[in-house]
Amino acid sequence: MFNKIYKYRWQYLMILPGVVLLFLFSYIPMAGIQVAFKDFQIGTSIWDSTWAGLDNFTFLEDPQFLTVVQNTLYISVLKFICGFPAPILLALLINEVTRPAFKRFVQSVSYLPHFFSWIVVAYILQSFLTLDGGLVNQFIGQAGGEPVFFLGSAEWFRPIVIFSGLWKETGWNTILYLAAITTIDPQLYESAKVEGAGKLAQIRHITIPGILPTISIVLILSIPSLITVGMDQIYPLMNSANHSVADVLDTYILRNGLQQGYFGMATAVGLLSSLISLILVVSTNQLSRKLNGEGLW
Amino acid sequence: MKASRGEKIAEYIIIILLSLLCVSVLYPFLYMLAISLNDGADAAKGGVYLWPRSFTLINYEIVLGNETIRHSYLITVGRTIIGTVGGLLVTLLVAFGLSYRGLPLRSMILSYILLTMLFSGGLVPFYIQLNNLGLINTFWVYILPGLFSVWNMFVMLKFIQGIPEALIESAELDGAGPVRILWQIIVPLSKPMLAALGLFTAVGHWNDWFAGAFFVTKQNLIPVQTFLQQLLAAQDLSAVLGSNNNQEALARSSQLQNITLMSIKMSVVMVSALPILCVYPFLQKYFVKGVLLGSVKG
Repeated sequence: MFNKIYKYRWQYLMILPGVVLLFLFSYIPMAGIQVAFKDFQIGTSIWDSTWAGLDNFTFLEDPQFLTVVQNTLYISVLKFICGFPAPILLALLINEVTRPAFKRFVQSVSYLPHFFSWIVVAYILQSFLTLDGGLVNQFIGQAGGEPVFFLGSAEWFRPIVIFSGLWKETGWNTILYLAAITTIDPQLYESAKVEGAGKLAQIRHITIPGILPTISIVLILSIPSLITVGMDQIYPLMNSANHSVADVLDTYILRNGLQQGYFGMATAVGLLSSLISLILVVSTNQLSRKLNGEGLW
Repeated sequence: MKASRGEKIAEYIIIILLSLLCVSVLYPFLYMLAISLNDGADAAKGGVYLWPRSFTLINYEIVLGNETIRHSYLITVGRTIIGTVGGLLVTLLVAFGLSYRGLPLRSMILSYILLTMLFSGGLVPFYIQLNNLGLINTFWVYILPGLFSVWNMFVMLKFIQGIPEALIESAELDGAGPVRILWQIIVPLSKPMLAALGLFTAVGHWNDWFAGAFFVTKQNLIPVQTFLQQLLAAQDLSAVLGSNNNQEALARSSQLQNITLMSIKMSVVMVSALPILCVYPFLQKYFVKGVLLGSVKG
């Protein structure tokens, strides 16, 4: 045994940094979850803090917490309903283009927004939607309408989040589908044409069945993300006017934990959301095993 | 086979739709560029849509002349280079080490790594740990926590396992040790993969504003994206003009009257976005490959 380990000493040495980094930045924070059950102050040791029972879980009775959960689910479900079919549709459209140069151009351009941060997206939104001088309000003004304060209103918040999410990621998410389409046997299309099937019939009976496995994998993989809404996207757009609909689990944890110092309570909220996503991931894996015959790992 | 009339029309409709999509992606950048190159007070009157009406470079002079912005750029470039090179190195080493199927305890180490993908301590315990390690308010808070990417490691591992074993075995017969095999066989063969993973890591570093906003309070440590995030909610120009290092710009107060918050914002955001717009066309062939390899189950 020791001889064998010695034989692989270089390999162990190579793996070691990764193991240490995970220990420091993943495993110790996992042990730090005990803060959820303790009376912890920053600057003191977690291990020396006194146990507080379930005192940190009183947020469960906080009506604001219920709103936060509702906001999270509302946005993530809406994002899923719009964001899941959009790339499939776009990939089908791109696939119908017969001019290769134009096709490549559309692909390059549609992938582009993925590479910009949500902060840059927030600036774009500001330049278009701001009250004084925003492009959209300029047009509304020219048409004789009253300017709309898009970025400072609760009712416009969700449409803005959904739309900017679509703008940023739809093109990027077509990559998998377009790759799946290229693996479809061209002879299928040829024989369909011989039998007189039109374009729409070909899409329905050949292309869509061809990418169905990819669709089901993407569907399964997106289930665990249903309870998280990217803080990256939400935080830059949040302000006091839209707070009532914009506050989601991640921003709630951030505000109470890092900004106001309720470490125990914020850890407890985080623990709850980690547990739910763990359950979702594991059950998704079971589901995938049942449907596809193999799990995700 | 002739295309029917209906199909011809359908193709034109598709081309129009996709062209509109391209316009919707590209136009915002063109618009922001036009505003940033236009006199601020003039732009505020409206009507600047595609190109500047009253051309000026004053916005860029102010932005590039600002010490805070220049410094934040330095931080961003520094963390992008160090974080990407270091991250690729650690990821490559771990993946290579784990690619030896005969390695004792291999499956245990793999489970140890996989578990961190399924469950995490959450933001607050992570922050407490950064604090305990003394990383809060240091440059290394940008580098160390993300140095080992589990996801990239599994993609890399899968790629290495696809390299024919005969190549490695014959090198071993020639007396090459693992280190030589790594540098002389694995690295040259994985260049496209390393390029793709490096690209994603670099973009992640370039775009990250979160660490700068919450793990750092010293203004001289914030990256460009965090500066942008702070400026996003600014009500006046004090963030850009307030410090005393803009004497030169302030001296030209006649021009300064025409500066608006919006025109400054647009030039800062263009300055942060331009590098990505410039390198994007050259890196395209790499990232599609990276996504496809990453999507296959590891």
